[in-house]
Parts: sequence; C-alpha cells; structure tokens
Amino acid sequence: MTAQVDPEVNGLQVRSEVAPAIELVHAARWYGNVVAVNDVSFSLGAGVTGLLGPNGAGKTTLLHMLAGFLAPSAGSVHILGRSPHRDPSVYRQIGLVPEREAVYPFLTGRDYVKFNARLQGLRDPDGAARAAIARVGLEDSMDRQIGTYSKGMRQRVKVAGSLVHDPQVLLLDEPFNGMDPRQRIAMMDLLGVLADEGRTILFSSHILEEVERVGTEILVVVAGRLAASGDFRAIRALMTDRPHNISIRSSDDRRLATTLMADPAVFAVELTPAGLCVQTAQLGAFRRLIAGASRAAGVRLLEVTPADESLESVFDYLVRR
Amino acid sequence: MSEVAPVGLIAAFMEISRVTLRQLLGRRRTLLLILLSALPVLLAVAFRAAGETEVERFTRRIFDTITMTILMPLVAILFGSGAFGAEIDDGTVVYLLAKPVPRWIVIAAKAITALAMAILLTGSSTVLAGIIDMAPAGSDGVSATMAQLLAVVVGSACYVSLFLAVSLFTRRALVLGIGYMLVWEGALSFMLPGIANLSIRQYALGASTAVYKLPLQEVRLSAETALLLAGVLVVSALVLATWKLMRFELPGGSD
Repeated sequence: MTAQVDPEVNGLQVRSEVAPAIELVHAARWYGNVVAVNDVSFSLGAGVTGLLGPNGAGKTTLLHMLAGFLAPSAGSVHILGRSPHRDPSVYRQIGLVPEREAVYPFLTGRDYVKFNARLQGLRDPDGAARAAIARVGLEDSMDRQIGTYSKGMRQRVKVAGSLVHDPQVLLLDEPFNGMDPRQRIAMMDLLGVLADEGRTILFSSHILEEVERVGTEILVVVAGRLAASGDFRAIRALMTDRPHNISIRSSDDRRLATTLMADPAVFAVELTPAGLCVQTAQLGAFRRLIAGASRAAGVRLLEVTPADESLESVFDYLVRR
Repeated sequence: MSEVAPVGLIAAFMEISRVTLRQLLGRRRTLLLILLSALPVLLAVAFRAAGETEVERFTRRIFDTITMTILMPLVAILFGSGAFGAEIDDGTVVYLLAKPVPRWIVIAAKAITALAMAILLTGSSTVLAGIIDMAPAGSDGVSATMAQLLAVVVGSACYVSLFLAVSLFTRRALVLGIGYMLVWEGALSFMLPGIANLSIRQYALGASTAVYKLPLQEVRLSAETALLLAGVLVVSALVLATWKLMRFELPGGSD
C-alpha cells in the first residue's frame, strides 16, 4: 500500500513497490460545476483499507468510480490493470457492496446469493452460495425472504453475494451500517481474514472505531480531495506542523518535567495528577532524549504513551485543516 | 469457493428472466391487469349470450375498443417500463450490472420476459374472447381470432421494447407511455391519417392483415410495411436500451 499525505497538506509521502490492485491517477469527477472528486491519486495492494471522510467528501463517488459505475471526468481508474468502466468482464474480479440497503425483497437469502453465483458463471452455484452464506453467519436465515431481514442481515447477505465468486478486489460502501455490535465485530474479523487471504479490500465508513479495528491503512477524503493515505500512525508521524502529545508516568514527575523543559525538542510540559503531558515536534528526537533525561534526573520511567496517535486524532486533524 | 466458468449466456438469460418475472408478478398492478384482461372475455360471454356472434361486431366493439385501445397498450407499457423501473429506483440494478454479463443479454432477458407476460395476459384474453364469441362464425371466426392475436403480439412487442428503453432514460416512462397511448394513439392517429407510419396501433393492425383482413376501416398499412416498421422499432429500441445500459451510471451519493 502506498502511504502518503497530500503534498499540499504536508508535502510528505512514503511509497512502496507492491504492484497495485487498485490504482487511481489524477482521477476527478465533476457534475456540471460541482466537483465531487478532485485530482485523486492512490494505489492499493493486498490488504484492507478504510476510506474515511465526512459526509459529502466524495467517498461514494470514489467507490462508484472504482466499481465502474462512474467514468472519471479526468485521470484514470484501474482495477487489476484494467479500466472498470464499460467492461463487465472486470466484475469477475470485483465484489461490490453498495451503500443502498435495498436487496430483492422477494428472494430468499440463499436465492439471492445463488443469483449472484449463477451470473458469475460458477460451476457449483449451490455450493458457492452455501459457503458464502456461512462466511457471514446467515445459515439459519438463508431460506427466509430478504424482505423479512433486519438491516444488519441485509448487509450481511449483500456481503455474501459480493463474496460468492471469490473476488480479488472487494469494494464495500458503509458495510457495517445497521449491524449490531456483535455482527459488526464478526464482519470486521471477516474483512481481516479476507485481507489475510490476499484480497484487496476497500471499505468506506464514517465510524472511526470500525476502521481502527479492521486495520491501520486509511484513505482520508476531504472535500473531494485525498488528504492522506497510508498507515494512520505513519501519517501522524508525518504531521510535523502539529506537536505530538506524549503521556509519561514516572517515579518523580516534577523532577523529570524540569529536565525535559531544558531540551529544545520539547515545546511544553504539563504536570497533571495522572502524570506528565509532553508536547514535542520531533518524535524521534524525543524518543532518544527521554531515556537519557530520566537517567540524568535520577527518575524511573513507569510509562511512556503517545497520547494522540489514534485514528480519531489523525482524522480530526486532517478534516479540520 | 467454486470454480469459475465462462458465464453461460443462456444461464444468465434464464436467471435474469426468473428474477424479472418475480419482480413483475409481485406488483399489485399486475393483479389489476389480470382483472382488466378478463374484461374482453366477460364481454364476449355477454355478446354470445345475447346472440351477437358476428366477426365484425366483436372486432369493432371488443377487440378494437377495449383490447387494442386500452388493454394491450396498457399491459405492455406497464410491463415494459416496469422491467427495469423498480430496480433503478431502489438501486437493486447494481446487483445485476456488477456482473460479467453482456448488457444485451440483460436487455434481451428483461424484454422477452416482459413481452411474454404481456402476451400471456392480452393474448390469452384475445384468443379466449374470440373463441367464445366468434366460434359460431366458423373459419372466419378462427382466422379473425388469429389475426387479432398477431396484432396483439406485434403491438405488445413494440410497446414493451419502446418503453423498456424509455425507462432507462427517465423515471417517468410509465407516465410518458400512458400519455403516448392516450394522446398519440388515442387522438392524433385518428385525426391525422398521415402519421400511420409512426403509430404502433397501425403496425399491429397492419400486421394482422397477413392472416386475415379484419373488418376495420382504419387499417392503413400493408402487412409487409407494418411488420417492417414494427421490426425496425423493436430492434432500434432494444439497441438503444443496450447502449444506455452500457453507459449506466450510479449517482455519487451524499458522501
């Protein structure tokens, strides 16, 4: 997976050499004067990636472009080296879970998944449907009409339908919508397993905890532009214009604070009942500094924890800029 | 997971037809159409009971007034515009289009299923009513019934194809279809004989003369011309529908 931050945001990027399953190059999509996606470039290899962004950021537009249902107004979109637009044969390798909830209500779950299997030309649609339904844990309800399903069950049967032909690339638009906590965890685990099997999985979500649980790779879209992509912890490390907050507990917080304040790598030190909260712009320098500083002060370190390396912190920073 | 084979065109056709059939049958309006299609049969029974069994009387009062003017166009427009309509409205068309199936197969399966349903309803009504009321007329009655069935088949094929294609361009295909039926076919084609070449009703009635010359003065096209124009309309509409489906785009959504 390519890890990068929009050069206009931070001017920093890190690239890998893995051949991409998904590749966008300067892709844009506009409707009249409205720009939905603007000059987005990224590439993804095997693994699971969360597509994040506030409402209206362009996540669904991006997914529809990747799924071949929207032509880019500019730039290019490739799935496994081919343009998905107007090429139905590419769907042998793509599984798509759209955001819209509707699924043929008059079909049973089993019939719906078999419908997908037959249109994919599988030699054993019954067996493939049973296996896909088992993966999403819907065996007990597979002979009920989808119209009687809860929202979460409909999401799961959509995922089963998208998985039935064992696609290399899975595109999921808000796949956890309507699921209860137990179903969410099961689906997150399933995405992890599918990614471990070598698939490329891109899912959109507006719930950060979901993305954080499934993996660390993210794409952040803000106002149609790709604000950042890659491991969110790596992205956080690249945000040099924002001080890192580090929580420290030690045997003598006040003495350690005095020592740390003498170092130019440290912006500020706050003494709190829970310990020290240190701000630094240079995380690497601080990591090297802290051990020596504690020794010099004769203080024993009990805990050193990055306080703002969560996905929420990264997302909040990128969206608010 | 299962082994993948080239998608069998016949298997894909059958699967899409099966789902389309269930979509169309599951609608309340289909029940209303079934009731409407019983009307010519009930009237034929009434005519027969009253001793009015002439080919001309039946053709004018039941076939022309009810079957050709209301029943056949309405059934075919509803099935044609409904073959895709609901799927596009509720987004389920994605499940159909995100498959390695040629788009012309999707269109062919939808059109043939809708046409089969339209012919099943209107055609069976026409044949049954014809047999009931025109049987005493002997071979003329049988020939007239076959000619009426041919008119229904040709007219239904034109309406289904045209409004299936229209439904891929606008969500108002049903309204446009009923407007066409009432304004163009119901009024203008009577007042302006010159537009016979642009009237599905004229294609259907003209085609029927290949079997039997129905006692209707307004038949303005020969069988050959009518069948040719109907064929051009059906093929053009289906090609246009395939072209549109190949370019089908989903909206970007709110996020």
